Amino acid sequence: MQKQEAEKEFEQHIKENELLIYKVCRMYAHTSADRKDLFQEIVIQLWNAYPKFRGESKFSTWLYRVALNTAITGLRKKKDFIESREPSQLPERIGEENAGREEELLQLYKAIGQLSEIEKAIVMLYMEDRSYEEMEEILGMSQVNLRVKMNRIKEKLRQLTKNN
Amino acid sequence: MELEELKQTWKETTITKNKNTDIMDLMKQKSYGPIAALKREFRKQITVMALLPLFLLFTTIDDISQIFNNVLFWSYVAFCAGMVIFGSANYRIVKKMGTMDGMVRYNLEQQIGLLETRLKWKLIALRIVLLFFVVLVEVVPYFQHYRMLDKWHSLSPLIRFGSYAAFFVLQYFLSRIVSERKFGGHIKYLKALVSEMR
Repeated sequence: MQKQEAEKEFEQHIKENELLIYKVCRMYAHTSADRKDLFQEIVIQLWNAYPKFRGESKFSTWLYRVALNTAITGLRKKKDFIESREPSQLPERIGEENAGREEELLQLYKAIGQLSEIEKAIVMLYMEDRSYEEMEEILGMSQVNLRVKMNRIKEKLRQLTKNN
Repeated sequence: MELEELKQTWKETTITKNKNTDIMDLMKQKSYGPIAALKREFRKQITVMALLPLFLLFTTIDDISQIFNNVLFWSYVAFCAGMVIFGSANYRIVKKMGTMDGMVRYNLEQQIGLLETRLKWKLIALRIVLLFFVVLVEVVPYFQHYRMLDKWHSLSPLIRFGSYAAFFVLQYFLSRIVSERKFGGHIKYLKALVSEMR
């Protein structure tokens, strides 16, 4: 395939799935500058990995893998990339939701911010309504393990929102 | 509020996107992630080490025959060649670490394995370099005379070899501390994530 064609095809795929990348960025980076950096880094990593994408899995599954790998492994190197933040440092307005139950939502987002990087990934995929089978394909965890983890996370979030 | 309730809101979320996001432009940007930074570092190291002997040759072009008979020059060339080989091996390892399209758990396990391999080879290479310099300091005076080396050789072998041994012991502990500080925390973090996924 010609390079230009591949570029166009890739751009089209990204535009169709842009919201997924934004959601990963919102989950793992908490300032707009950090989100912008993470978004750029994810797109670069996706483009680098694109020649190897053979359509064996859904494009969104493949995209989640690259995006989560980039977000999880990129967060640690403070000087070169994004600094992971403590929940107390989270900005007051996390998302740009059509607020109604904003305060409650904020509490829950704050609680999610206190989860580990893996738990955040599980929660995000769960909220995206991904099946456990697809979650297994993305994360490499068994479905049984994922179900157990998900129940624990729900309980943990309940406790955290109570305490906040 | 329960997670189930957030689920609906999350799906309905319309994030204010930057309308000017130009995907084509983003694709052509340089990566500033840790792996890209390491790759740039090794590329620089390889280039510098490959060019240094040439630079030395260029600066002594008037007396080129003399430099070809100089033991130190050839030791220097050998050292630079070793560094280029080491830099290339490191570059290959870091390049493998840049693969991001595997399952998250396997990607993390691969990163841990590669980082540990890199650390192990780094420590081995450092010891080889030190051994190389010790051999150099001990052998060169048999072929060529340098005032500093002659002075060093006038000391008793016990002092000389005692100093080398102390140097090796110091290097052993120092390199462990430096490696632990530089990569230890990151490896521990990755291992914690993997154990969480088991």
